[in-house]
Amino acid sequence: MISVKNIFKNFDKLEVLKGVSCEIQKGERVVLIGPSGSGKSTLLRCMNLLEEPTYGEVWLESDLLTSIDPYLHLDIIRLSKTYKELFSQRKEANPQMSDEEIDSYLISEIKEKDLLKKHEGKEYKKAIKELEKKNRVDINLARRDMGMVFQHFNLFNNLTVIDNLTLTPVTLGLKTKEEAEKTAMELLKRIGLSDKRDEYPAKLSGGQKQRIAIVRALAMNPKVMLFDEPTSALDPEMVGEVLDLIKELADEGMTMVIVTHEMGFAKEVGTRVLFMDNGKIAEEGTPSEVFDNPKNPRTIQFLKAVL
Amino acid sequence: MGYVFEGLLHTLIITVIAALIGLVLGFIVALVKISAENNKYMKIPAIICQIYTTVFRGTPVALQLFIMVFAVFAIPGFKPYAAILTFGINSGAYVSESIRAGISSVDRGQLEAGRALGLTWNKTMIKIIMPQAIKNIIPAIGNEIIALLKETSIIGMIGATAGTLTFDLNAASETIYKSVPNFLACGLIVGAFYLAIVYLLTFVIKIIEKRLRASDKR
Repeated sequence: MISVKNIFKNFDKLEVLKGVSCEIQKGERVVLIGPSGSGKSTLLRCMNLLEEPTYGEVWLESDLLTSIDPYLHLDIIRLSKTYKELFSQRKEANPQMSDEEIDSYLISEIKEKDLLKKHEGKEYKKAIKELEKKNRVDINLARRDMGMVFQHFNLFNNLTVIDNLTLTPVTLGLKTKEEAEKTAMELLKRIGLSDKRDEYPAKLSGGQKQRIAIVRALAMNPKVMLFDEPTSALDPEMVGEVLDLIKELADEGMTMVIVTHEMGFAKEVGTRVLFMDNGKIAEEGTPSEVFDNPKNPRTIQFLKAVL
Repeated sequence: MGYVFEGLLHTLIITVIAALIGLVLGFIVALVKISAENNKYMKIPAIICQIYTTVFRGTPVALQLFIMVFAVFAIPGFKPYAAILTFGINSGAYVSESIRAGISSVDRGQLEAGRALGLTWNKTMIKIIMPQAIKNIIPAIGNEIIALLKETSIIGMIGATAGTLTFDLNAASETIYKSVPNFLACGLIVGAFYLAIVYLLTFVIKIIEKRLRASDKR
């Protein structure tokens, strides 16, 4: 469903993601854990492009969300001026080597040393443009399919609860006001907050806000839900109600990616766990593999500290 | 007293027109600056806007008035309009900063939530960010209009001619000296008028603020 291909993310000089690749399959519930600053939230935010990766590509099914990363397309590297120049140089210097050998050396050298420049000739530019034209989608369209839940809820403060749920479908012309309100009321009923329909967010508790934020995302009928530490800003007594709602969605088969510090919840709800450390995926596996039998020393150390 | 009312009328006309110019200009400039963070084509206009605010906020309005009236628009009979334009452009620089600050004071999460749902940057700004920002913007703009009202009193520096717009409330205080030969009395009369308008403005702004804060009530 979501493919993350070798993404790097720099904030000025700070490298937060250092080459992360992962595939989220339909129906999977992938949990991202790891120490703070390890890049797990950034990875999640790169999935719907709230952060634009510095290098690498993100795909939602067959749609490309980022721009093309030439390093991921060998045929594009081969069209670059740099490759062509180096190829003829190497060919002259090593006449005994076959073209294939030179090619494979050169490709890995260009990738490793980041040799591609901004301008690499017409052919190269055209190939990138064509590939983007074929695959890239408007990010605003793609985001409709990816619900996101934030640590700080981010309900629209200027709108009532019902308007929070109906604004986007109505503004985007996906539903009429009546249809949107009907869906919204069903969702509010489901979480037992239909009596709050005309309240402003300021009057709600943290747990109520987060549950409404979750159904606001659901009102768009997303294919996948992204949770960014959904319970970290909640008072302890409200964590349960939010986790219960997420578990319910999990039982219904919703595809999810969850960044969390709740290890018990991660173990219970996740089908796969990614342990991130220092901008990379350090270990991954089923919850029982990662939690009960971790292999990477960093994972062991981290789990010891949090469990 | 006729002079005072004439002056008062002129002061109000100058202030209202200058404030309108300032609001429109300030709004456009603020939009350019804010949209530059999302749109690369707005980068250069944003730099121009930045130079504008820096220059007009960084130099005295009296100096701007002299340059505009006696150099840029040295056209006979255009004096009062050049002056109003100067006040408007000067005010626009302050208004744009108030609007920009008001918009950036809205929690970034609000924009992210809108974008994450699939709303465009423009739609999120209009439906989510601006309605919240306006609560912070209105009081600041109110202050700016009050400051502008008093600032227009320097229009006399370019020569107040009775019968034209340059003859404002402040200029009236000198004229009525002929009938009330007491500087303190003249000053107090005119001052009372300024104070009354400012008080009225403050009152109106408070009412608007109160209405806008409806969704904040806990």
